Amino acid sequence: MVVRIRLSRFGNKHQPFYNIVVAQARSARDSKPLEVIGTFNPVPQRPTGLSDEEARAARAYKDISLDRSRAKYWLGVGAQPSDGVWRLLHLAGLIEAKKVPSN
Amino acid sequence: MAQRIPNHLVSNSLLPYLSSSPSTSLFRLTTAYTSSSLTDASRPASRSFSTTRPSQTKLRREMIRWLRGKGSELQHHTPGETNYITHTNKPFPGNPLYRSDPILSEDMRNEIHRQVTVQNKSVRAVSVQYSVDMRRVAAVVRLVELENQMKEQGKSLALPYARAIHEMVPVTHLREHDDRRKSHETINDLPVHRLTDPQIFYPVSESRQFNRIDAGRVFSAAPALRNQRAEWLEANPDETIRRITQESPANIEKVGKGDEEHQVLLPADARIPHPHMITHERNRLTIGKTEPAEVRQKYRERLEQETQVELQRKERAQQRLEMKTQKVQPENSRFEFRFTDVVVSRETTGLTGRGHKAPGRRYGVPSSDRKKGQVKIPTRVKV
Repeated sequence: MVVRIRLSRFGNKHQPFYNIVVAQARSARDSKPLEVIGTFNPVPQRPTGLSDEEARAARAYKDISLDRSRAKYWLGVGAQPSDGVWRLLHLAGLIEAKKVPSN
Repeated sequence: MAQRIPNHLVSNSLLPYLSSSPSTSLFRLTTAYTSSSLTDASRPASRSFSTTRPSQTKLRREMIRWLRGKGSELQHHTPGETNYITHTNKPFPGNPLYRSDPILSEDMRNEIHRQVTVQNKSVRAVSVQYSVDMRRVAAVVRLVELENQMKEQGKSLALPYARAIHEMVPVTHLREHDDRRKSHETINDLPVHRLTDPQIFYPVSESRQFNRIDAGRVFSAAPALRNQRAEWLEANPDETIRRITQESPANIEKVGKGDEEHQVLLPADARIPHPHMITHERNRLTIGKTEPAEVRQKYRERLEQETQVELQRKERAQQRLEMKTQKVQPENSRFEFRFTDVVVSRETTGLTGRGHKAPGRRYGVPSSDRKKGQVKIPTRVKV
């Protein structure tokens, strides 16, 4: 069976919040995973404590917490990231961007 | 800025029905009502189906008598004064001991805002100077900023509401603080800590000193200090409190194991909002008689040093956060992505996998309290 690194949805209605989990591919999305290696909050946060000019130029940010060493370990033993997690891990500089087949 | 509360000249536009002309609708209504109940001939057409006389209870008659007599004094509101039924500044006739807490006057809050933002005084110093709670000082600064922002945007302010509130409750004015007779509120109250709830009977040898530091240790079930250390702390009270309040909170001693681990309760002298005032008072009592200038100088230096320590602490915390965070701004995205480092290990997740130091919303571990053979009678007492 394949081990995947994927997102499992927590939070409430209209308030998504994801745990980045390592789990068996065929297990249910929110079931107890092998390991939780981080979180991903897809709701953009406004940066605070800035002056007016800075606030106008600042980008909203998305919060991600990640244990890099555990992520590297699971990638090393062949865990397959899902598309969303692949993008996040690429942003974190852990893997190459996913090659999209051109047709 | 426009003065919001002119002295005793403003009419209360929030409550126009209280300050209208003497022939109010209330009077007309009561007179019409009583006359109609007395003379049947002049009954209004709307009552033609009813054969019963409108009931006029004793209570209602008394109320109307009161409205014409004593109550008529309350009908018109003197601007700038309260209009309570007690004719004092106590709003509830049944509760003569109640007195509302004072609020800050307009000039006072503007002055507090000016001192913090323009003069760059610390919140702590301003709080002591005007005897206003530190949280209130912070709130004043935030709210005045907000008000200025609203004025810039051309939004309307709720001035009639503010005026009415300022008339209804006591107000602390700025000038009252010049001669230091009156304070706005107490600023050095000791917050109640959960650990101090239980009553503990703790036998102490008569040959030993037992002070607030020891009391904190007893409440948090920490072993007693060694005599030598306890003597040093007793001999240098100012230095002891300075170390506790200015050094990193991570240095506070901890007791207990695993999930039960908690910090040792600090002495009350360190838990109050303004621990530095104790040192100031001690200095005032010892060298204040002969060298008052030196006491003031020391006070200023102490505040300055505390401000510096606080600033450094904030900077270090910010740097730590920056070091732990990686910011990525992809070309093809409107957003920034902030990656924070976390640790997943047996230490953080704990044996059950539900430790709060580990990342992620926690997973439920099945609760076994409905299973057979679970003893629910407590086997020990937690204090």
